[in-house]
Amino acid sequence: MQPAEKTASQPVQSREERLFLLIILVLGSVAGLGFWFAASALNRHDELRGIRPEKPRQLVDFSLTDSTGRQVTRAELQGKVLAVSFLFTGCGTTCPEVSQRMAEIQRLTTNQPDTRLVSLTVDPRTDTPPVLAKWGARYGADPNRWLMLTGNKRVLQQLIGTSFLSTNSGDPFNSMPGNFRGTERIAVVDKYGRVRIYFDGLRMEAAAAVVAEIEDLRTPR
Amino acid sequence: MNLKIIPAVLLLALVGCKPASPSSAPRNFTVHGIVMSVATDQRHATIKHDAIPGYMAAMTMNFAARNPEVLNGVSVGDIISFTLVVTETNDWIENAQRLGITNVIGLSGPPGWHVVEPALAVGDTLPDYEFTDENGALVRLADFRGHPVALTFFFTTCPLPDYCPRMNRNFEETRKILALETNAPARWQLLSISFDSNFDTPQRLSSYARVYRGNDPAHWLFLVAATNTLASLAPKLDLSVWQEGGSFSHNLRTVVLNAQGKISRQFDGNDWTPQQLADAIADAAR
Repeated sequence: MQPAEKTASQPVQSREERLFLLIILVLGSVAGLGFWFAASALNRHDELRGIRPEKPRQLVDFSLTDSTGRQVTRAELQGKVLAVSFLFTGCGTTCPEVSQRMAEIQRLTTNQPDTRLVSLTVDPRTDTPPVLAKWGARYGADPNRWLMLTGNKRVLQQLIGTSFLSTNSGDPFNSMPGNFRGTERIAVVDKYGRVRIYFDGLRMEAAAAVVAEIEDLRTPR
Repeated sequence: MNLKIIPAVLLLALVGCKPASPSSAPRNFTVHGIVMSVATDQRHATIKHDAIPGYMAAMTMNFAARNPEVLNGVSVGDIISFTLVVTETNDWIENAQRLGITNVIGLSGPPGWHVVEPALAVGDTLPDYEFTDENGALVRLADFRGHPVALTFFFTTCPLPDYCPRMNRNFEETRKILALETNAPARWQLLSISFDSNFDTPQRLSSYARVYRGNDPAHWLFLVAATNTLASLAPKLDLSVWQEGGSFSHNLRTVVLNAQGKISRQFDGNDWTPQQLADAIADAAR
């Protein structure tokens, strides 16, 4: 590349060879980078491990109301595999994201009569059945399969706190109303009402992971 | 806690830039406040102080103690009075004196935050709370005893048209309705209360207010609640505020108080009309 080199013994070949080498190098780096990205993306996928409940958690008895105004009790969910999430309609970031996961789970489990999706509101005074119906419509929720439950605040808090999440995440202004920990999670519940595993509902891969877990629980080996 | 100090420091910096007083003589202010933290070397303390007339609004900020002995025996939770000395380029505190002790919610950080207070119902009295208005002045709910008050919560950078902007549009409509109604009560007050005390300074409240209220402030004040106030007030009204994703997720609570400060009507969410609120205010006056 230096003018001085041009006058050296192999001026022209050297230039072409270098260009060729450069192209090989660039192509190689592009391929390498691509491979690296692909590998790390795959790794990330592998990284989405479920979170096991820190203690045995069982669906407690409850009586709540769904987005159509119908009363729903625990008995109705007996024998069903559940994907359970937490929301309130004033929530701008976490809940829309998790609801998208739930919509994806609903789509992937369309033909499973023994699967239900359940979303529990932490702000029942705002989230009346019509308000929840509006939220559900945004995500294409089928009210027969994806139950959005509201009702007495104490019942909801007890259900969430006993069956699903730990309370007291500290500063109430830095956590979802109700001060629960892990409100971005989607819980998978087996046919006997036991919480088997949680997945981080903010992760894209959570939908597939939840569906795989549901498949496992529907067909016990 | 630290984040809260930043706007205060910025404001102080702005105030400091203003050539307010041509004389270079230090100015002394007597200030009351609650000690939020004291540095181990006693050279700084964060104090939630009352308004300093002629100097700054009530806020929580970090003050320097040139002489560490000023903070001898002063600890978190103490109610103190002190002298704030302000020169053209500097400020520090002197003569700190303990007046008492407080157990304000949240003072001691996360464990203290977890106070679950039951939400109040219609007929319950909402305790008196203190806010800062658009001019930096203190406003108490008790100031409005004797006539109905409707209050709602918002923050000025609220991005969702159906949330805070809708509440304030509804307030403006309500104000118009009540102004035209012949049998409306003579005195009534609307309060829009920001829960974003880090960002919503009196100046920001004031320019935000102009957008919704125009140049006529009659019957309608814009206020900001300090975090400690909010920690006590929010659970009582079932108001939820969650700092997430660099903004706030929150629910909507609009409350009508009667002349005695009792809750006369609560509107949850955004599905109510200005006419309903105007009627509720008229009812509360009866």
